[in-house]
Amino acid sequence: MSLKVEQATTAFTFKGGMLPMTVMELSTSDPERIGAQLAGKLSQAPAFFQHTPVVLSVEKLDDTALALERLCAVCRSHRLLPVAVRGGGEGIKQSAWALGLGWFPPQEIRETRPLTTVDETSAGIDETGSGRIHRGTVRSGQQVSAPGGDLVIIGAVNAGAEVLAAGSVHVYGPLRGRALAGIHGDRQAGIFCRELHAELLSVAGTYKRLEDVDRALLGTPVQIGLKEDQLAIEALV
Amino acid sequence: MARIIVVTSGKGGVGKTTSAAAISTGLALKGNRTVVIDFDVGLRNLDLIMGCERRVVYDLVNVIQGEAGLNQALIRDKRTENLHILPASQTRDKEALTLEGVEQVLEKLSEDYDYIVCDSPAGIERGAQLAMYFADEAIVVTNPEVSSVRDSDRILGLLASRTRRAEQGQDPVVERLLITRYNPDRVDSGDMLNLDDIQEILAIKLIGLIPESEAVLRASNSGVPVTHDEQSDAGQAYLDTVDRLLGEEKPLRFHQFEKKGFLSRIFGGGRR
Repeated sequence: MSLKVEQATTAFTFKGGMLPMTVMELSTSDPERIGAQLAGKLSQAPAFFQHTPVVLSVEKLDDTALALERLCAVCRSHRLLPVAVRGGGEGIKQSAWALGLGWFPPQEIRETRPLTTVDETSAGIDETGSGRIHRGTVRSGQQVSAPGGDLVIIGAVNAGAEVLAAGSVHVYGPLRGRALAGIHGDRQAGIFCRELHAELLSVAGTYKRLEDVDRALLGTPVQIGLKEDQLAIEALV
Repeated sequence: MARIIVVTSGKGGVGKTTSAAAISTGLALKGNRTVVIDFDVGLRNLDLIMGCERRVVYDLVNVIQGEAGLNQALIRDKRTENLHILPASQTRDKEALTLEGVEQVLEKLSEDYDYIVCDSPAGIERGAQLAMYFADEAIVVTNPEVSSVRDSDRILGLLASRTRRAEQGQDPVVERLLITRYNPDRVDSGDMLNLDDIQEILAIKLIGLIPESEAVLRASNSGVPVTHDEQSDAGQAYLDTVDRLLGEEKPLRFHQFEKKGFLSRIFGGGRR
């Protein structure tokens, strides 16, 4: 009985949750430039900009003077919803709170070495600052991602490894692990590989497991994309 | 300065300790001052394989915690000159190992030895990571089966990221593949992965191939590293491996199915 009573009087319960969240890592504090880039992105991937909650990361900025209010306004005008700020000093923390935003401490330097040291030869980033080229085998347990564009792997992706990109994933070698393209919802993205053995293929959230793949295509060069909400796997000729 | 070689695999039971014992014995037989360290704290095995279990007084953990000097813990091998064994503790666990402690021990050993062979525990946790952290070279022991290959692949990823060489941006750890328990007969019948498949997935240089052999089991149980059994196929394969480790070119042996001769068909049995 007592349990029931308690349930009736409980207005809510706190629950821990891990929600996917887009972090917008600022490399400038100039609202004009940010606005211009957002406008460009908006036309490319309108699906992404639907009052998407974002965390503004200011960790890479040196200047302490940040027009946070204007910045938020720029984001909102491009249908992004800033919900919190990460990094910055005491001043930024206070102004975030004043604007009704949450504040997160700067991210600790995490061990992203598997991703950075393995491809020491790669220049990594193309002109738009979004794509990524990885040279060498991506091994079981490793994850290589291009959160802002296309990912090119020159080598094999082994079983148990994961490669993901906001844009397309290109693997010049056997693809034995998991490949996820269009992780932010880009339905035009595709996956391309020299030899298909992938554990999992996903474009914009629509996925296929190895089991679901036509056996005749295994081990052959293929291209994968969305066609009428279905993942289509076709020979690459 | 000694070369530090870690013998590792990820997966258990593939022959890490057997290989560490055989290779360190081979290195010593070739006149190199060699020490082999058991990093498998809590599951001490190397002393058994090396046949010195009755002579263990102090161990690696004692040295790290300052309870014994390095020379008190080192056991001189009775069969092979130039070879010493640093056993693990059986009563402690891997938490007793510290990065600084391991570093100090290796530094001190570096002054007196040419080769330090670290026998890694299975897994990818603390013990395995400490065993590989200071390595210059890694011998990744792999059996011809899919789970072993995948675990080796995982370990190779860690070698490229969680080692001192990787973290300090030095030349990467030299990675070498050692395939053990290879049975050409069963490879031909499709029960086991073949050499090419394994190499294609792991994409590192092959340092040796050890055939599945009764000599290995016999060696383990009698506490004599199989390298001393020069008549056996496994013993010869380990000697070849050591030669390649020392920079010699040796053709690969024991990887093809040998048609059994008339006599062996009659007197049969497995391989020696």
